[in-house]
Amino acid sequence: MTHTLIQCFYNIPLDPEIESVLIRLGSRKNAPIDADFFRMLEEGMKQAKILSHPTGLYLPLKIFQRTADTVVLENETYFQSTSLSRLLQNSEETVLMAATIGPEIVDAIMNEVTQKDAALGVILDAVASQTTDAVLDWMMDYLNILLAKKGRKLTRHRYSPGYGDLSLVYQKSIFETLKLNKLGLKLTDKYMLVPEKSVIAIAGIEPKEY
Amino acid sequence: MKKTAFDNFINDRFVLLDGATGTELQKRGMPKGVCPEQWVAEHPDIILEVQNQYVEAGSNIIYTCTFGGNRIKLEEFSLGESVFGLNQKLAALSKKAVGEKALVAGDLAPTGRMVEPLGDLPFEKCIAVYKEQIQGLLAGGVDLFVIETMMDIQEARAALIAVKENCVLPALVSMTFDQNQRSLTGTDPVTALITLQSLGADVVGCNCSTGPAEMAALIALMKPYARVPLLAKPNAGLPRLINGVTVFDMDAPEFAGYAQVLINAGASFLGGCCGTSPEYIRELKNKTLGQSRPVSLTPAFSGVTSARKTVFFGSDHPVKVVGERINPTGKKKLQEELKNGLTQEVRRLAMEQTQNGAEILDVNVGMPGIDEKQTMAEITTLLSNFTDAPLCLDSSSPVVLESALRLYPGRALINSISLEKAKIEKLLPLAAKYGSMFILLPVSDEEVPERNEKRREIVWEVFRKAQQYGFHKEDMVVDGLVMTVSSNQQAALETLDQIEWCAREFGSPSIIGLSNISFGLPERSWVNAAFLAMAIGRGLTLTIANPSSDLLMGIKMASDVLTTRDRDSLRYIARFSQGEKQHYGNVPGPEVMSIRERIYRAVLRGEKEDIHLLIEQALQESVLPGEIVDDCMIPAINEVGQLFDAKKYYLPQLIRSAETMKLGFDKIEPLLGADQKSNTSGLAKVVLATVKGDVHDIGKNIVGLMLKNYGFLVHDLGKDVSKERIVAEAKTIGAEIIGMSALMTTTMTEMKEVIQLARQVGLQCKIMIGGAVVNADYAREIGADGYAKDAYEAVKLAQKLIMNDAHLDKSILP
Repeated sequence: MTHTLIQCFYNIPLDPEIESVLIRLGSRKNAPIDADFFRMLEEGMKQAKILSHPTGLYLPLKIFQRTADTVVLENETYFQSTSLSRLLQNSEETVLMAATIGPEIVDAIMNEVTQKDAALGVILDAVASQTTDAVLDWMMDYLNILLAKKGRKLTRHRYSPGYGDLSLVYQKSIFETLKLNKLGLKLTDKYMLVPEKSVIAIAGIEPKEY
Repeated sequence: MKKTAFDNFINDRFVLLDGATGTELQKRGMPKGVCPEQWVAEHPDIILEVQNQYVEAGSNIIYTCTFGGNRIKLEEFSLGESVFGLNQKLAALSKKAVGEKALVAGDLAPTGRMVEPLGDLPFEKCIAVYKEQIQGLLAGGVDLFVIETMMDIQEARAALIAVKENCVLPALVSMTFDQNQRSLTGTDPVTALITLQSLGADVVGCNCSTGPAEMAALIALMKPYARVPLLAKPNAGLPRLINGVTVFDMDAPEFAGYAQVLINAGASFLGGCCGTSPEYIRELKNKTLGQSRPVSLTPAFSGVTSARKTVFFGSDHPVKVVGERINPTGKKKLQEELKNGLTQEVRRLAMEQTQNGAEILDVNVGMPGIDEKQTMAEITTLLSNFTDAPLCLDSSSPVVLESALRLYPGRALINSISLEKAKIEKLLPLAAKYGSMFILLPVSDEEVPERNEKRREIVWEVFRKAQQYGFHKEDMVVDGLVMTVSSNQQAALETLDQIEWCAREFGSPSIIGLSNISFGLPERSWVNAAFLAMAIGRGLTLTIANPSSDLLMGIKMASDVLTTRDRDSLRYIARFSQGEKQHYGNVPGPEVMSIRERIYRAVLRGEKEDIHLLIEQALQESVLPGEIVDDCMIPAINEVGQLFDAKKYYLPQLIRSAETMKLGFDKIEPLLGADQKSNTSGLAKVVLATVKGDVHDIGKNIVGLMLKNYGFLVHDLGKDVSKERIVAEAKTIGAEIIGMSALMTTTMTEMKEVIQLARQVGLQCKIMIGGAVVNADYAREIGADGYAKDAYEAVKLAQKLIMNDAHLDKSILP
C-alpha cells in the first residue's frame, strides 16, 4: 500500500442481509419465521436504511515493531495485547478503520424503545449494529480487492479495542490518529464512541499465502 | 489526432497495445519504493529501450510512463510541483521511442483517493488534478489519451471530462473489474460501458485484475451494448507473492492462446497488463496476424444508468415507472427538510418508490426559498449512493441541471428539453456533453400544441437539432403531453395517437405524466389506470407515476403480460405469487375461534391493538375475569416464553406479546377478585441504571420495558449514573432489586463499586447485572446475585430473585 492519507467513504451503499439481522436477534439456523414478524423486520430494515448514514474511513500504517505482546506502528501508536500481536503475526502493515452510521438512527431507536414501539426499536437496534459492522466489512472487501493486485490480503479477522486483551483505552490513540472528530464522532472519558453505532477496528495486511 | 484520423488508424485491424512497464523497469534496475515517473525521467534510455521493444514486438499504441503522474500521486514523493514538467518530458520520451511506428497515449490512472459521492475528494478537484496532468502530456505531444485501471466509475468520468474539456484527442477508457464482475465500487461492466461511451469515450474496456479468460467473459458482457471498440488488457494470469515478489502464473504462449477467445468475445484492442512483457505482445501479434476486425456497429438502444445499475427500456421491455414523488410541490415535510438541508424524507421517498416498483427516480427540488442548484447537486450526490435506481433530473433551469449532470456518476435522463429557444440552445449541448438521455417535450415558444400533427412537427425539429450533437432517436423519450380530459375529452386520444406514432413510426421511446389526465374528475385512480393500460397497449415505454398505487402497478404489470413485454409473465408471477409464510397460533381463522381462543391468540401474536376489544367481548359473553387471565392470557404468555427459549420467537415478538399481556392485564385488573390483584404498592420495585461512565442504554431500556410488562415497578435512572445515586434511589424507594448494565470493559468495574456501596449502607436488595462484556462468572466475582444475557432472562432472573427472597410473587406471571 502506498496510501499515506486517511481514505474516507460517505453514504456507502449497503443493504445488510436479513439473515445477519436475524442472527443478532437470536436466530437459530433455518428456524421458521412468522409472516407478521417478517413484515415487521422488513419495515425495520427499511426504516433503518432511511435513518443510516454509513460512513467509514481507514488508514494503512506500517508495523514498526512487534513482540509477543506489543505492537508499535510507524506513527508510534502503541498497543499492548497478545491477541492483537498474534493476529498480526504475518503482517508488516496494519489498517486502522472506523465506521459509523450517524446519530439519527440512535435517536430513533431510543425514541421507539422508550416512547413508541419497542419491538420496532429492537429491530432497528439490530439492523443498526449490523449496518455498522457492514461498513467495516465493505471497507475490508474494498481493501482486499486493492491488495489482491499485489498478492496480499487482509487478515481474516479484525480486532476492536475492548475485546480480548486489547484494552478499550486504545480507542483514544486510534480516534486521534484517524481524526474521527472530523466525522462528528466523540470519545467519552471512558473511551466510548458517540454516537453509539460507531466502531473502531484493526486488521493486518499479509501475503496471500497465509 | 482527431477522431476521424483515429478511426482511419484503427480501420479494420486489431490494435495491439503495449504490456506491463513497471516490471520491465524493475528488470532494468529501477529500485523499489522510488517514484517511477521521476526515475524514468532520470534514466531516459531505459524507457526508450522498453517502449522500443514493445513497438518492435507489434504494439500500435504505447502508453506513456505516467501511471502515477498526477499531482496526488506525485505528492507522495514530494513532487507535486513537477506534474507538468514530468508529464511533458515522459510524453516526449515516448514519442521519441516510437517514432512514426506507433501512437503514444497519455496515460491517466487512479489518483488513489476516493472521489465524491462515495469519497472525500471533491469531483471538481479530481477533474482539476487530471487537467493539470493532461496539459503536461499534451505539451509532450501525445496522440491520444488512455484512462486505465479505473476502479471507480466516478473517477473514470472525472478523467474523461478532463480530457474532453482540454482537447479533441481520442480517449480510451479501461476499467478494472474483480472476480465478481464488479468494479471496486460496485459498477458492472455493462453499466460502465454505457456510462463511458455516452460520455464520449472512443474505446472502452478492461485492464488488470484478471487473467485473459476472466476478462473475455467481461468483454462478452459488454459486447451487445458496445457502440465503440472494446479493449482488453489482461494480466498474465493470477498474482502470487513469492519471497516478497509478485509473480504471475501464465507464460507468453499460454497468454496469447487466449487472443482468439478475447476476439470472439468482442475485443479489438488487445494488450497486456501486470506480468506481461514485449514477448507477450509478440505472441499476441502472431495470433492476430492477418485477421481483420469485424466492423459491426451495435444498433442504438435506450438505457440509463446509475453507478451500479442499467435500466433499459423500449418496445420490447416492460414499461418502466419513473417515480414522481421526490418533488416538493404539495409536500410540506419535504419542503421543510429541503429548506433546512435535511434529507430523511428524500431517502424515505426514494426507498418507498423503488420498493414499490419504480425503476427510475425523478428528482425535482424546485421551490422558493432554497438554492436549487446546490440542493439539486446535494440530493443527486446522496441518491447516487443511496439507491441503485438511475435518476431522471428534473428542472427548468439549465444551470441546475448541469450541476447535477456533472456530478451524477451515471447516464441520467433529463426532464426535459423542448423547442423553446432558451431551453434547447442550452440543454442540448449539456445533454450531449454528459451523454444523457432526455425527455423531449413537444412544446415550442409559440404554443403547447393540443393536436398531434403539430406535436410531431416539433418532435422532428428537436430531433434534427439533436442529431447535430450526435443523438439518435433512441436517446430521446418523447413526452405524451398529457392534458386533462375534463377540459378536453379529445386530449387522451391525441396522446394515445402520439404514443403509437412514436412506437410504430418515429422510433423513439415515449413517456407520460399519468395523473394529469384525470385532473378535475372524481375517483381519479380509475381514469389513471385505464389510461395507463390503453397507453401501454399503444406502445408506451415509460410512465411518470406514483408507484405506491397498487392499482396502477397491478395494471401496469398485467398490461406488460398482455403485450408480451413481460416474457413468460415472469415479473408478474414474481410479484403476485409470493407464498404465505407460517404463522404461529394461526390454525383456524379468527372468525371461527372462540373468544377465549382469540384472546390467547392475541397475546401469543402480540396483537396489542385488539386486546381491549377482545376482553370486552369476553366479558359480554360472561367469561369471568379470572378465567380470562388464568385460562387465556397466562397460558399464552407462557407459550411465548417457550417459543422464545426454543429460539422460535425473537425478542421483538416477545416484547409485543408482553406488551399485549400488560395492556390486557391493566384492563382486567380492576375486575379481578382481591386474591388475584396485584396492587401498585405491592409490586416488586426495581432500580435500573447504566453505570457511571457508560453511555449505552438501549439494552437497559429494553430490560426496563420487559420488567414493566411483567409486572415490576421500574425506576429507570438512565445512563451514566453514579453509584451514590443508584444506592440512594434504591434506599429511598425500598427497591427489591437493583439492575445494572455496562457495555464496556472500562465501565463494568463500576458495578462492583455500586455493590460495595450498597452493602456498606446496609441495603439488602438483590442485585442483577447485564451487558455485552459481563457474564455469570463476573456477576459472582463482584458479589451480584445474578446475571441475565437478554431481556427475557432478566425478567426470569428478577422473578427468581424475588421468589428466593421469600417475597410473594409480585409479578404477573408464575
